[in-house]
Amino acid sequence: MKITDLHKKIGRFELNVESLSVEPGKIHGIVGSNGCGKTVFLKLVMGILNPDRGYIDYEGILPQEITMMTQRPYLMRTSVYKNLIYPLKIRGIRPDEEKMDELLDRAGLLEQKKQYARSLSSGEKQKLSFLRAMVFEPKVIIMDETLSNLDAESEELFKELISMRQKKDPATWLIVNHQWDHVNRLFEAVHYMEKGRFVKNEIAEG
Amino acid sequence: MIDWMINVFSDKAVLSAIRVTFMLAFGSTLLSSVFGIAAGLLLERFSFPGKRIVIRINRTLMGVPPVVVGLLVYLLLMRRGPLGSLELLFTIPGMLIAQTLIITPIISGMVYSYACRFVPAIRVFAITMGAGKWQTVKLIFAELRKELYFCMVTGFGRSISEVGAVMLVGGNIKGSTRTMTTTISLLKSQGIFTEGVGLGILLLVMAFILQCLCDFFQREEVQDENY
Ligand SMILES: Nc1ncnc2c1ncn2[C@@H]1O[C@H](COP(=O)(O)OP(=O)(O)O)[C@@H](O)[C@H]1O
Ligand SMILES: [Mg+2]
Repeated sequence: MKITDLHKKIGRFELNVESLSVEPGKIHGIVGSNGCGKTVFLKLVMGILNPDRGYIDYEGILPQEITMMTQRPYLMRTSVYKNLIYPLKIRGIRPDEEKMDELLDRAGLLEQKKQYARSLSSGEKQKLSFLRAMVFEPKVIIMDETLSNLDAESEELFKELISMRQKKDPATWLIVNHQWDHVNRLFEAVHYMEKGRFVKNEIAEG
Repeated sequence: MIDWMINVFSDKAVLSAIRVTFMLAFGSTLLSSVFGIAAGLLLERFSFPGKRIVIRINRTLMGVPPVVVGLLVYLLLMRRGPLGSLELLFTIPGMLIAQTLIITPIISGMVYSYACRFVPAIRVFAITMGAGKWQTVKLIFAELRKELYFCMVTGFGRSISEVGAVMLVGGNIKGSTRTMTTTISLLKSQGIFTEGVGLGILLLVMAFILQCLCDFFQREEVQDENY
């Protein structure tokens, strides 16, 4: 994915990305202080916001192959299970219930399968939104602070699921995460932001 | 009381009034829901020049006195009026038009306000899931079903309780365009209060039973949110 001269003004905030190339199939971290424009940038990539100017070259990836977990996950007013299979449903894919149960079980959500999704605890909500984003195997996965509020065990689970996916069919991940923890150790590239600009890129060796 | 009930239910004119009342209420709620929900959702979705004025007019119309609408529809439908050739004055379709005009802005105004509160997040979610245009519309309806239902119930309540417009446009013709509320109004003017009160209670009880039925059909499991 290549971003050139991307510009967006919201209120008094201005985002300016002169040029950024996001290597496909890799896990990218985006780091920066509060209000530096991480969320605005991710929304532009997701297509939730339209840029005032500039251009994102998705290199053949279609919009429906990109997903984003927003800061506050949106859970539909229905059961945990129906939330989980929603992306499959709209793609006309019949879910393999056994596989879904297994996924829920790994996340410790199997007992809550039939529960109203919005009655989950905040960590559980984040886990569900994570599973839901994974189940249709998108090519680009954007996580906006999805990992806050998680206990160590769930974090480990996220890390495992990410690694599993990367072994099978590497996706491009864009991850914003404040805590320096397990998941950040997965980062293969870190992009630093300051006041609406990318100031530094660190690409891991190998 | 029981005697009175038997009396009421064997009186053809009263039965007709009950029938007309509910026919009008269902008919106008249905029509207004179609127009009002569409208008409310479209108003949230699209911006156009003059949108703010449209919203203000909508809010004003939410509180318009039904008699005023009744008078306008009367003038439109009367024999020498612009739509006089349709011969709708003093007919049930004419009353239906008046009631739909009263209720549509109420529903669209409420739907618009709910839509502004909930739809943006739903739309963002739909984008993140890769939902298409119609899938997004479907999702919005599914997510807002409780709110939309409430808007419809409000519209129904307005319709069932309305007197002024129905009186003017319908003409309060016994056995034909007379409704429960216009019957009560007439009884009062004749100084007959007990029957008026009885009919009023009957109207409320029937509306209550209807509510219970609706709740029964859309009952769901506990849906507490965990904030
Ligand atoms: N809709 C909006 N209206 C006005 N200002 C906004 C809007 N969205 C974001 N901003 C501003 O843009 C800046 C960057 O926001 P954001 O990208 O959410 O920060 P973060 O890097 O913490 O995710 C903030 O100063 C915020 O106040
Ligand atoms: Mg943010």
